[in-house]
Amino acid sequence: MSLDILREGRAKRRIGGRNRNLWIGGAVTLVLVLTALISLVWTPYPVAGIDIPGKLATPSWAHLFGTDHFGRDVFSMIMVGARNSIVVAFVAVGIGAGFGIPLGLLAAARRGWVDETVMRFNDFAFAFPALLSAVMITAIAGPGAVNAIIAIGIFNVPVFARLARGASMSLWKREYVLAARVAAKGDVAIAIEHILPNIAGVLIVQATIQFALGILAEAGLSYLGLGAQPPQPSWGKMLNDAQTYIYLAPRLAIFPGMAITLAVLGLNLLGDGLRDLLDPRLRRER
Amino acid sequence: MPLLDIADLTLRIPTVEGTAEILNDVSFTLERGESIGLVGESGCGKSMTALAAMGLLPESAQTHGAIRFDGQDILRTDEASLCAIRGRRIAMIFQEPMTALNPVMCIGAQIAEGLRLHLRLGPGEAENRARRLLDRVGLPAPRFSPQLYPHQLSGGQRQRVVIAMALACDPDILIADEPTTALDVTIQAQILDLIASVTAETGMALIMITHDLGIVAETTERMLVMYAGRIVEQGPTAEVFARMAHPYTRGLFAASPHAAVVSVGSTEGRVRLAAIPGQVPDPVRRPAGCAFADRCARQTEACRTEVPAAMTVGPEHTAACIHPVLNEVPA
Repeated sequence: MSLDILREGRAKRRIGGRNRNLWIGGAVTLVLVLTALISLVWTPYPVAGIDIPGKLATPSWAHLFGTDHFGRDVFSMIMVGARNSIVVAFVAVGIGAGFGIPLGLLAAARRGWVDETVMRFNDFAFAFPALLSAVMITAIAGPGAVNAIIAIGIFNVPVFARLARGASMSLWKREYVLAARVAAKGDVAIAIEHILPNIAGVLIVQATIQFALGILAEAGLSYLGLGAQPPQPSWGKMLNDAQTYIYLAPRLAIFPGMAITLAVLGLNLLGDGLRDLLDPRLRRER
Repeated sequence: MPLLDIADLTLRIPTVEGTAEILNDVSFTLERGESIGLVGESGCGKSMTALAAMGLLPESAQTHGAIRFDGQDILRTDEASLCAIRGRRIAMIFQEPMTALNPVMCIGAQIAEGLRLHLRLGPGEAENRARRLLDRVGLPAPRFSPQLYPHQLSGGQRQRVVIAMALACDPDILIADEPTTALDVTIQAQILDLIASVTAETGMALIMITHDLGIVAETTERMLVMYAGRIVEQGPTAEVFARMAHPYTRGLFAASPHAAVVSVGSTEGRVRLAAIPGQVPDPVRRPAGCAFADRCARQTEACRTEVPAAMTVGPEHTAACIHPVLNEVPA
């Protein structure tokens, strides 16, 4: 009985205190995703609607975040920019996880020269600063959202490969793997049905972190003019445009800057919260 | 023809430090429905013998000799045919129920896995069978649903699930690798009873791997004592217990708490367990003569130069020792 009370108290503290990260991060991420979804069907103004007489308007009820140097509604652009960031980061994480996780699982399952080959290629990809290499890729293949996605995605591959390999390495020594082998399961089936669910927790957490980094990388690339091309709005490009008017209308830099910061912060908090939630070792402490 | 016939099995595994001699000239047979015990300290080759019988040796392992299961040589059988034997005809109960079950799969699915793959049962039929197996190992419905996860069970209950997995396909041989080592003493007896009753019911042969002579005495008809990769003594369990001929078997017996209870008798005070001095020699640097010589009180020059051959010391009872102990075990 008294134990139950203790446990209940602990559970409450976890929701209020320890897992605050999860709630705040989750809420921010949800707002971000909802904004992006709404922008698909509705924005206060068309994002490409140029209105030169109404340029550089200060925030008002008509234009919540004001207008930019072409008189475009900043709020609408932020909304569409959210969609752009999410799509780029999501597909990039998908590429990273889609190639990286199987490679990592393969390296852990086969060991030996397969492991060495996969991991050395990973080291090779890892050794380049990600953003610099993304610049190189877009410089070769030309700027654009698709190339930005590919560039960011490629640098997610080694992250997921390493994590999947590291996390699954020790699991192959477990007796349940032997038991599965005794049940006539092949290596591929064991990797997918036994190993993967065991490492799903860390992979999901890493995916949220990479998602945040993806948003940041996309903003960086489009700031340099290598990401989404006009008239497609993106947060990085908005920052670049705002540079010219930094003294005249600093809000043009502040709003997209805030959007990037909030999105990255929210996703990082969500990742931390998920890690606390999914990692039983951290759960048992305190 | 015996069900399992291991003849002169020698197993070497190359390591960075040199070649490790894991098994040396191991020979024994197992008849249908028979139960034998493999006894010895950690690292003496008990588990490796079992893994070899299942064809689960590491790829780098070099083997000589033969393992014939039902006339088929396991060492010369391809992986696909091994898959049809493993789990289906030879099943294994693992030592550590914590790691033998996948923490993120429900127990029903883990039991059904072998049924689906070996017997090609559909999901519904496999689930029914899993349910019946849970009943049989003492985890009755509705308290123990197949939907439970391993962390929702205690150690003993988990070991019952592991046993249910092993029994799933009605194997001919059940290998129990230290099935009770990780369990509480009170649970140990229950698990041993369960293993004994399921093997008796179905006529499965049992290979009980353990370092506990008490378990061997209770569950087996014949026993093999292994030391440093060799069988040093073998014979009917009762006969070996009555006349332990190899000094190592005696040492093992003296080191077990059962012996202390026997010998404390009416004498006063606490009796210290007689530990065997020294350690099992490194498998990379096995000595030329008897591997036990360094730890043996009866060793002479001869022990250092030649590996003792098995000599008959009683009915069906052999010991590989130059100076076997021939008196009866003091009770």
